[in-house]
Formats: sequence, C-alpha cells, structure tokens
Amino acid sequence: MNRVLVVDDEPAILRLLGAVLARGGYEAAAAATASAALAALRGGGLSAAILDLGLPDRDGLELIPMLRGAGVPVIVLSAREDVGEKVAALDLGASDYITKPFDGEELLARLRVALRQSGAAVAQEVLAHGPFRIDTARHEASIEGRALTLPPKEFALLQALVEAGGRILTHAALLEKVWGRAHVGDVEYLRVAIRALRLKVEEDPAHPRLIRNEPGIGYRLMEA
Amino acid sequence: MWRMLTSYGVPLLGIALVTWISSAMLAQWGLASAALLFLLPVLLGAARGGLGPGLLAALAGAGAYNFFLLPPYFSFHVHGPDHAVSVLVLVLVALVTSRLATRLREREEEANARAAVSEELAHISRLLAKGSPVEALERARAYVAGIYGALRIDGAQDGFSSLDQAAAAWAMHNGDATGHGTGVMAAAEWTFLPLSPKGRGAHALMALARPADGHTRPMVQIEHMAQVALLLGQGCDRIALDEERRARETLAESDRLRRTFLASLAHDFRTPLTVITGQLEALAQRSPEAGEALSAARRLERTMSDLIAAARIEEGSLSPQAESLDLIDAADAAFGAVAVPAGLSLGHAIPADLPFVRADAVLLHHVLINLIDNALGHAASRVMLGAALQGGRVALWVEDDGPGVPPAERTRIFERFARIEGGDRAKGSGLGLAIVRGFAEAMGMQVSIEDSPLGGARFILRMGA
Repeated sequence: MNRVLVVDDEPAILRLLGAVLARGGYEAAAAATASAALAALRGGGLSAAILDLGLPDRDGLELIPMLRGAGVPVIVLSAREDVGEKVAALDLGASDYITKPFDGEELLARLRVALRQSGAAVAQEVLAHGPFRIDTARHEASIEGRALTLPPKEFALLQALVEAGGRILTHAALLEKVWGRAHVGDVEYLRVAIRALRLKVEEDPAHPRLIRNEPGIGYRLMEA
Repeated sequence: MWRMLTSYGVPLLGIALVTWISSAMLAQWGLASAALLFLLPVLLGAARGGLGPGLLAALAGAGAYNFFLLPPYFSFHVHGPDHAVSVLVLVLVALVTSRLATRLREREEEANARAAVSEELAHISRLLAKGSPVEALERARAYVAGIYGALRIDGAQDGFSSLDQAAAAWAMHNGDATGHGTGVMAAAEWTFLPLSPKGRGAHALMALARPADGHTRPMVQIEHMAQVALLLGQGCDRIALDEERRARETLAESDRLRRTFLASLAHDFRTPLTVITGQLEALAQRSPEAGEALSAARRLERTMSDLIAAARIEEGSLSPQAESLDLIDAADAAFGAVAVPAGLSLGHAIPADLPFVRADAVLLHHVLINLIDNALGHAASRVMLGAALQGGRVALWVEDDGPGVPPAERTRIFERFARIEGGDRAKGSGLGLAIVRGFAEAMGMQVSIEDSPLGGARFILRMGA
C-alpha cells in the first residue's frame, strides 16, 4: 500500500486527509510540524507527500526540495490566495498544488498523476500521455495515431507537456524548457505557441479540452 | 589692553635703553653708530605692533636722539640739515617696516583663516559622506553661527527690501552668489548664497546681512560661505532623501501588515471550512441532508472569498500584474470554477483568433467567475460569453436570457449589497458585482451593462489588446 505523508498543523485537516486517502486506498502518515515531517522522511517508505505551506516551525516551501531530493513527489495544499506562492512551490519542484477547501476526488486524481510520474523512467524514447505519443529519438509526435507536423518550438512544448504527464507546468518552467532561461518572462511567446498547438491538436481550438490553463500559474495536459 | 600697552611700551623702553647706552658710549662709537642703534627699537615696534607703535618709537627715538645726542644737548633744536636727515630716516624706517610687517601679518592671518575654513569644510564633507547628514548640518550651522553670531532657518521673506528680494530671486534662479559684496546687485543689503550647485536651480538660499561695521564683505569670505551653503544644501537633500526612504519603508511595512492580516483571515476561515466541506462530502454520498449542508458550506466559502476580495479593494492593496492572456484560456478556467445549476447551459463564442489581451490573470479569473455566477443566478436557460475587437480594444461580455437590468439600475447595481427590487433569486453575498467593478478598474478596464440579444443583460468589459 502506498504510504503518503500528510503535513498540516491542523489536526482536523490531518484527520480529513487521512479519511480521503483511506478512501483512495492509501495509508496516511501524519506530521503536524516540519521537523516531524523530516523525521518521517528519514524513516523512509514514503510514496508521496501532501504539504501545507503554513507550518509553525518552518516555511513549508523549504521542505519541498528536501522531499524532492528524496524522490518523494509533493502536492502542496494551500489556503493562501497568493498565486506567487503556488508558482514558487511548483518551481521548487512540487508536482502540483491544491487550494483549500479542496475536493477529495480532485485531490486523489492529482495524487495519482504525481505518483505515476515519479514511477516513470526518466529517459524514455517514446513518451505517451492520453491520446499523445512522442518519439523523442525520431522527433515524431502523434495524436490518436495521427501524425502531427510541428515546428520545433511547438514540438518542444508538446514534449514538455507530455513528459509532465498531467502535472501542471508553470509558465516560467515551460518558457525555460522551450525558449531558454533568457525568455522566462516572455509569456506572449507561450500564448502564441499554445494557440498554434491547439489548432493542430484540439477538436475545437476555441473550446480546448486537452491543453488547459490555470490562471496566473501555467498549463497542464489532460488525458482526454 | 595689555597687548596695546606692551606694543607701545616695549619700543619706548627700547628707545630709553638705546638712549642710555648711546649716551654712555657716544665718545667711543661716534654719532653715526649711535644713530643706527636707534633703528632697532623702531623696527621692533613697527614689526610687532604695526604703524602706531613704530611711528611712536620713531618720533620718540628722533626726539631722544636730538635731545640727548645732538648738540646743542638737552634741547630739541635741530642744528643742521644732516641732523634733520637722521630724524627723517628714523620716521621713514618706521613707516616702511610697519607697512611690511602689517602686510605680512595680514597674509598670515588670511592663510590661517583659509586653512581653518578648508578644514571645517572637509570635516562637514566627511560627515556627509559618512551618512550623518544631521550631524553635518548641525556642524555647518554651528560654524556659521560662530562667525555671524546666529543662523536662523525659516521660510520668511519679510525684512528684505525689493532689491534684496530681486537679488534672492536671481540667486535662486541662476545658482550664483548675489547681492552685497558680489558682482550682481551689490547695492543689496544682504548677500544671497544658493544651497544648490550652479545650473540646478536652488530651492533654498543662505542670506548674510551686510557687515555691521559698514565694510564691504570680502570676496574670500563670500567664496567660503558659498561652499558652506552648498554643503548645507547637500545635507538638506540627504536628509530629505532619508526621510522619503523611511516614509516609503513605513508605507511598505503597513501594506505588508494589511496583506498578512487578510491572508491570515482567509487562512483562518478556510481551514475550518475545509474540514466541514471535506467531512460533508463523505457524508453526502449517503445522506441528502448532508448534501444540503455541503452546498450551504460551499456558499459560505464563496461569501467569505467575496468579503476578503471586497476588503482588498477597499484598502487598495490590489497590485495587478498585467500579462499577456488568451481569453480562450480565461473563459476555460472560469468555466471550470463555476457550478452550473440543472436546467441552465453555459457556453462561449470567443473567436479563436482574437488578439491576446493584457490583464492580471487571477483578477480577471475572479471577475469572470463573478459575472458568470451573477448571470447564472438570473438566466432563464442560458449564459453565454462572447468577445470581439472593437476600435483597437477588446470587449469581453457575459450575457443571459434573464429579465435584464433596467437602465436606471445599471450604475447602482455595481454598488455593494445592491439588489434589484423583486424577482431576484440570486443568493450571493451582494458583493459580486462590486468586486467585478473593483477588480476591473484596478486592471484599467471599464465595465458596463447593455441589453443582450438573448433578452437579458449583457455585462461588458473593455480592455487593452
């Protein structure tokens, strides 16, 4: 059974998360402080972590690199409206975030995506997510078996999204991957490329179903 | 007084001594050597005390020489032209020596004064460079007060004649020393020195009154004081900058505190709400009553979000981050965040080739959610989003087939807690449209209401492409 570390200073939230995780078939390991979380991390055997950023003894953001370093995917649980903080958490390596109050089913869905990603081999030649397949060695992309003709930037963008496999990628992360570090602020590039990509992959580009945006944060690829 | 006594007394004593010695030695030395000896006290008097003591010693020496050494003895009668020459030489020596000595002393005093001023200016500059402008200013004030008795700082213009005021205006405008003692409007009673370097236009002046003794203020002094004035100006500038920086820091700090307060308020509300909705979610699968409680809890959550948003508008802490946005994304994200009641449909007809707009993604998201919620609350069967390019700007609208908004209500409806009389089945906080207007205006958008072709209201946002 997958063991998921839950870090939150509210006992009621810990109980609630425990119930939601049990419903999804996971075992919850609860920690009310950052130091308790680090102790649990040292104990090992964790498949993922759900982390509240407002902890009494330490900024939750500091835990993200440590958990990631130990190969534990992190879902940030945030009560804060601050988009900047969510982006910071994602850029530090969090797999995803979820805002309180959250929907239990949504949390479980995000957790599944995060777990699948951490289990995937790092350097695969053929990547797949939902209807997409990408052969990185042959530089070929297809949707539902239909080959896509993509210019280099659009190919790189789709590859980044497919590699993330449903995880959200921040605007800055996508810009850095596709255009390089010098262009992390040029969101306009991203908008143009996403629009062009949607024309080729979406059934109705005005009503995108596959490439979805989260306001102020980034894009994620849906399965269908 | 003592100085004066010694400067006159010592040469006179010298003359007495020389008279006594030469009278005694006259037989051995002869008259010429004795006469030379009289030069000594004259030189001494003139060099130490200046013209007065030198002249007195010369006259006393000439008198004593004539009275005691020249025949007829013990008489002031001048016997021949050679004796008259001796007296004249003594007087001339006194004049020339005292003049030379006075000039030398003046030079020395001037050099000492210059060195003192330079040292003082360097000290004030060091204080400024060290970042202690208040100390530097105090030091400069004390220095000026030490020379002129007092330095008064105020903004008053009274007490100045019209010529003085003209001189002050000139100094202020041109950054030159003006007025008494200078080359410009020298007839003025005051000397005006700008506190800013030439060419920058002064905002303040130092005014020095004409010296009480009626003399003209020397140029050297004006130059020194002009430098002091510049240092005073630099000190004032530095202090003003420091104050400005402190004010900005205080403002930023209070801004930060307000944000922290709102963030913690949101946190304090959301944590219990998360527990309530989470547990109700599990229960709702088995009990319809729990389902009702769940939707009530969700409504409470919305109301709480609205209150916090309204508070943010009220206290002006919104700082929109404009970025390039695709309205397709904005509509898609908003659709994902609203619950469409049974029997109603929600859709959009935003063209896929519409130009990108510049807006804050999160604020626009909230604006759209509130407009869609409002429309869903009034629609008979459908709510539609649309957008079009109009005169270089992008218009984005949300419309419904409900009863619409009467023209007379189209402004009032954006006020907080405004409701249209009768037939309102919206159950929101009454803040939704106030938040729409507050957020839209913060992003520089205009929001207005028209009649929709669908039969209800069309809320339009106009924004830059």
